[in-house]
Amino acid sequence: MNEFVEQFLLEARELIDQASDDLLALEQGDDGQDRIDSLFRAFHTLKGAAGIVEFEAMGRALHAAEEALSAVRAAAKPMSKPTVGDCLATLDQVTRWLDQMQASGTAPADADAAADDIIRRFTGQSSPPASGAVDGGAEWFDILRERHRDGFAGAATALCYRPDADAFFRGEDPLALVAGIPDLVAVDLALPGGTVLADLDPFACGIRIVALTKAPVAQAREALAGVIDQVEIVVIRDETRDDRFSAPARQLLEEQIALLQLTGADGRVGRLAAAGRVAANVLRYCGRSAEASGIDNALAASMAADDVAQLIKAIKDVVAGPQPHDATRGGGPLRAPQGLATRAVRVDMARVDALVGLTGELTVVKNAFGHLSALAQNGRDPATLAAGLRDQQARFDRLLSELQRAVLQIRVLPLRQVFSRFPRLVREIAADLGKPVSFVTEGDATEADATIVESLFEPLLHVLRNAVDHGIEAPARRAQSAKPPTARIVLRARRHLDSVIVEVEDDGGGIDIERVRRTAAARNLMAPDLLAQMTDTEITGLIFAPGFSTASQVTGLSGRGVGMDSVKAAVERLGGHVGIESRPGQGAVIRLNLPFTVMMTRVMTVEAAGQMFGFPLDTVVETAMVARGHVVPVGAGKAFVLRDRTVPLIDLAESLGLSGGRANGDARVVVTSMAGQLGGIEVDRLGERMDVMLKPMDGLLSGMRGVAGTTLLGDGRILLVLDVAELFQ
Amino acid sequence: MTVRLADDGTILLLDDCPAGDAEVLLQMSLANPAAALDWRSCRSAHTAVIQVLLASGRIPIGPPQGGFLSTLIAPALARSEVGEPR
Repeated sequence: MNEFVEQFLLEARELIDQASDDLLALEQGDDGQDRIDSLFRAFHTLKGAAGIVEFEAMGRALHAAEEALSAVRAAAKPMSKPTVGDCLATLDQVTRWLDQMQASGTAPADADAAADDIIRRFTGQSSPPASGAVDGGAEWFDILRERHRDGFAGAATALCYRPDADAFFRGEDPLALVAGIPDLVAVDLALPGGTVLADLDPFACGIRIVALTKAPVAQAREALAGVIDQVEIVVIRDETRDDRFSAPARQLLEEQIALLQLTGADGRVGRLAAAGRVAANVLRYCGRSAEASGIDNALAASMAADDVAQLIKAIKDVVAGPQPHDATRGGGPLRAPQGLATRAVRVDMARVDALVGLTGELTVVKNAFGHLSALAQNGRDPATLAAGLRDQQARFDRLLSELQRAVLQIRVLPLRQVFSRFPRLVREIAADLGKPVSFVTEGDATEADATIVESLFEPLLHVLRNAVDHGIEAPARRAQSAKPPTARIVLRARRHLDSVIVEVEDDGGGIDIERVRRTAAARNLMAPDLLAQMTDTEITGLIFAPGFSTASQVTGLSGRGVGMDSVKAAVERLGGHVGIESRPGQGAVIRLNLPFTVMMTRVMTVEAAGQMFGFPLDTVVETAMVARGHVVPVGAGKAFVLRDRTVPLIDLAESLGLSGGRANGDARVVVTSMAGQLGGIEVDRLGERMDVMLKPMDGLLSGMRGVAGTTLLGDGRILLVLDVAELFQ
Repeated sequence: MTVRLADDGTILLLDDCPAGDAEVLLQMSLANPAAALDWRSCRSAHTAVIQVLLASGRIPIGPPQGGFLSTLIAPALARSEVGEPR
């Protein structure tokens, strides 16, 4: 990607953030002239930037928005809600373009139609209501897909045409227009609920037409050109632009399908799990984590049913299938921004200066070593040399720790980077559900490691959706409890010692303990008598249990069968933990406790089957020698007694699938603790402690279980640092 | 007249039914709630007419003459239920 474009993407995203903030503030009633000025400047600068990279369509769209804003500014009147909606829709479209540019490196060639839509919004030909952008939800699309599964295979475009009520008066024949679309596969007709023949006004058009066609979107648009403002279009397949996967990714996915289709019972379960995981990882690597979660679900379902068909279908759907909610009109739910957005980091100059300073000091140490080696060459006595070496080593050590800290500081980002995406999303979710919500963020200047900040988006989005969908009561219910009609959700961050705490607090109904108990019972999460004995706090914790939320309770918003367990898993992957505090009738707080940095880790090295491995030192309690005779078999496993506690014991080599003869002497055991549970791991040899820069697994290995990360050893070998909790699962 | 009440009480849709037929068809359907509808001689029908058919919930005797009507609209009428969200 050329440097201009890179810079453009970086700046444009910042301007979009700025403009979104301003728009939301204006919508909340902030009518300060400086807000409008700031908004106007952001749009104006964006337009200029589009000109620099010669992205003409984006420039035109932004020009239309700028004109509208200019009128608002001149009139010095509050901005109307529809205008705010139109501006937000414009920013959405620009974000989509930026995503495309990020992927391809050049301005998208097919942006003109979308730009025309934006311009139409502002020139007021029909001024689609702002709500169009919000409730243009694809419920019609879901029905269409449900009804015409077969027809979907070859279809390219789906559309929903809601003609104006006075269409007949204007002499329009909506169905005749639809009939003009080539290659129609299916048409569905519907009237508004409650229509009865006796009350029908034959002169008012109330029909809704949904159509599915093999024709590309451009042809559908052409057929409906005169009424395009009343049409919502979803691109199912775009022949001209298949950038869904790189060739190797596609090939990998297809290989998994082939692997699954192998017959023969040998290793079937293993094949299933491996293929599912590889497919999910490929998708995650391509930045398609939603689809990856879908594969995870299909894998779980396939494992449960011992049937590969579901997983094969899921992978095939991803390879061939639609990413259907690619609504070309402003409508459609806002897609989760890609994790790619913040690849470039802006660094405070002071932090760079600190690095430059440290480099200077390190040079001094280097020179001192040169001096010492000269002394050694000249035969200076060893005692003086040793003293000099020790001094310099101590200096070197101190400087290196400072350098590490300084480098980590560069990787540190304010949580604002992820928090700033939520006001928009919460606004849309709340509008979709018809629950007025005032959303507040606090402490967004709190900093955390870039990896953490970037990985927080999905879990937080899920928690916030849950808060709006399940936490907050319907307005009528709130009125009964004498609560203000507008619910309040706070997204808060703060630093606590070495942790970053992120909380989502709502003033809804809290967790309904009895309902959780019933659901847990219905889903067989636990035996009924156990459930009955559990305390309220324990019951509350069940919402994080895998399988608590399933696809059957999908509301279209609260995820696709991905429950709070996925939040818990995501946070634990980052080395944190999740908690919940519920006050029945008053609300709930979901608390994510995250490490400040994921990088510096103290590890202890061990050897098993001739290979070296590391354990994070914070999970190691002690090491012990256990006489072979004191290791007793318990069920399928082994255990030993440590100070009157029975501790399960696993053999590291065995659990990693390595072969290695076990000596008969005492067992060397590393006693670990996770979540208060002790566990023993038998190893061949205990190594040393060291501080390492733990590199998280990335690329295709990012989903690998049992490994927390890797680091390079002094002799160039790679040390795998193991995730103790997963070894015991 | 492209909407007509046949001698046997069936409501007939004939040839190309314009928007104006919607009102006639509506009154005829209300006056003869049990009457069958027959559009085997219908080539095309304005959306307003289809809207009345849709609201009446009655499936006309077919297939109609026109390709669009027979391949897409007739199945849509058979599938649709009044009361879906617009």
